[in-house]
Amino acid sequence: MIRARDLTKHFRVHKRPPGFASAVKSLFHRKYETVKAVDGVSFTIESGERVGFLGPNGAGKTTTLKVLSGLLHPTSGEVEVEGHVPFKRETELLEAITLVMGQKSQLIWDLPPSETYAMNRAVFDVPKDEYDKTLAELTELLDLAPLLDKPTRQLSLGERMKCELAAALLHRPTTLFLDEPTIGLDVAMQVAIRDFVRSYNQKHEATVLLTSHYMDDVVALCPRIIVIDAGKLIHDGDLRQLIKTMDPDKRVSFTLTGVTVSDDDLAKLGTLVTREGQRFSLKVSEDRIPSVVGHLLGTLKAADLAIEDPPLEEILRVMFGQSRTKATSA
Amino acid sequence: MMRYVRLLLVQMRISAAAGMAYRADFLLEGLMAITWMGLTLLPLVVLYQGREMVAGWDAPSALIVIAYFMAVRAVLDGVVSPSFVDLVERIRSGAFDYVLLKPVDAQAIVSASRFEPWKIFDLLGALALVIYAFYKKGYAPPIEDIALGVLLFFVGVLAMYSVWILCAAASFWVVRLDNLTYLLGAIFDTARWPVQVFRGLWRWVFTFVIPVAVMTTYPAMALLGRLDAQTALATIGGALGLLVLSRVVWRYAIRSYTSASS
Repeated sequence: MIRARDLTKHFRVHKRPPGFASAVKSLFHRKYETVKAVDGVSFTIESGERVGFLGPNGAGKTTTLKVLSGLLHPTSGEVEVEGHVPFKRETELLEAITLVMGQKSQLIWDLPPSETYAMNRAVFDVPKDEYDKTLAELTELLDLAPLLDKPTRQLSLGERMKCELAAALLHRPTTLFLDEPTIGLDVAMQVAIRDFVRSYNQKHEATVLLTSHYMDDVVALCPRIIVIDAGKLIHDGDLRQLIKTMDPDKRVSFTLTGVTVSDDDLAKLGTLVTREGQRFSLKVSEDRIPSVVGHLLGTLKAADLAIEDPPLEEILRVMFGQSRTKATSA
Repeated sequence: MMRYVRLLLVQMRISAAAGMAYRADFLLEGLMAITWMGLTLLPLVVLYQGREMVAGWDAPSALIVIAYFMAVRAVLDGVVSPSFVDLVERIRSGAFDYVLLKPVDAQAIVSASRFEPWKIFDLLGALALVIYAFYKKGYAPPIEDIALGVLLFFVGVLAMYSVWILCAAASFWVVRLDNLTYLLGAIFDTARWPVQVFRGLWRWVFTFVIPVAVMTTYPAMALLGRLDAQTALATIGGALGLLVLSRVVWRYAIRSYTSASS
């Protein structure tokens, strides 16, 4: 279980305007500013849950993950992970958690990943037979066999990320903090990592807290999302419910061939969202879906018709806009 | 405890493997080790040409100080410095996060994260020098002097390691520390001379502030049977005090680690 209550983390940063004169001045007289990276955030995550942690750049996601994994001391508030206070860095906790950072590597650059694994085995004191079993399982799930003995520097970004995941999971942690684990990966690799995280979560009943810039990761993996902006929590709950509350209308996409329609005709069906050549996307309220779809398929002979929820990106954009407006007016 | 022993063994194996990943570098480093040994002796040869004694030290005795210097330097260049460079790089890049996420003491991981295995030749060279020096002096040291000389070698290494840990702790606040290590390296170079060569303030600095005397002169005096019990105990106490201080500062410094951003 993960619990945060009124968690705050402030950083004191040195500020100076550009230019040589201000550089010299800052040597003698420094101006500091307190940045509230995390500002009074509370949530509870039960064991075995998969939760998406979302927010724009600089919202405080990574800082929160670092506090939860014991890397940073919180400025104030209470944090508890699997019954431990993270910043005390107790062995029992460190053996139960892992943090994967898409932008940082723990693999030894000049040596094959198998050497990092051997090192982690020693560090986590994993018995030989258990280590062999876990490695065999991870090798199969992540298709690592051809990569284990190649020097890390010769691996592609995607291959490296798969090896990073294995390095982070060799000690079979039960709480996974995943910070942008799919960053920079192609779609196929993103799907592979997603599938792996889901199966690990189901097999080991592990708790997963995931941040990602790819909303597809979050939609595919996390039934619940926590959204923070400027260090403050602005939503915590079911993903589908959030989408429904924020924008209950569906997106109907279709392609028209051999028929020309005016924007006015389309406006009668719904709000036009995008138009790329003959491909259209309309925003249609849920109760009008049957009649609109009937018209599109029957009268207009539309092809490749799809009905979807609004994209999460759009919802978040609106949410972040609202939270900023609130903050300014307050 | 077994976890730490296993970790040390894996780190040594991995460092040796990493060292051999670039074959040309490995051969070059081996060659450098031999050349460096020759260069270390050169100033001594020059100094003792036409002189019998310098500051109460004859040439074979000064050779023993040089042997200790080479041995401590081998540990410094073979383990401490490479690990320190590795630590600074990890702090700069934020990869130090992964060290703190491990269920072992962070100081233990970073203190021996990199080895340069060929430095073992320097240690063997130092041993050969000691044997040669006693051959020149015409006697073999008694067992109790050897025992104290060996003990004080480890004490000297401990003192040197503590100074470097204090330096490493500073890297949590000041990220670019390369120059400080060069400065410390240059100061440590003075340890090749018996501390009695220096006078006044410098002798005091090299005994108490940056204890190079503890690292080489006193162990050499112990091996030569010239160190009194009081100084030997003070040397051990001083090194242990330095170790405790470095540990306290390190633990405090870890709290200041802010981690490079994502």
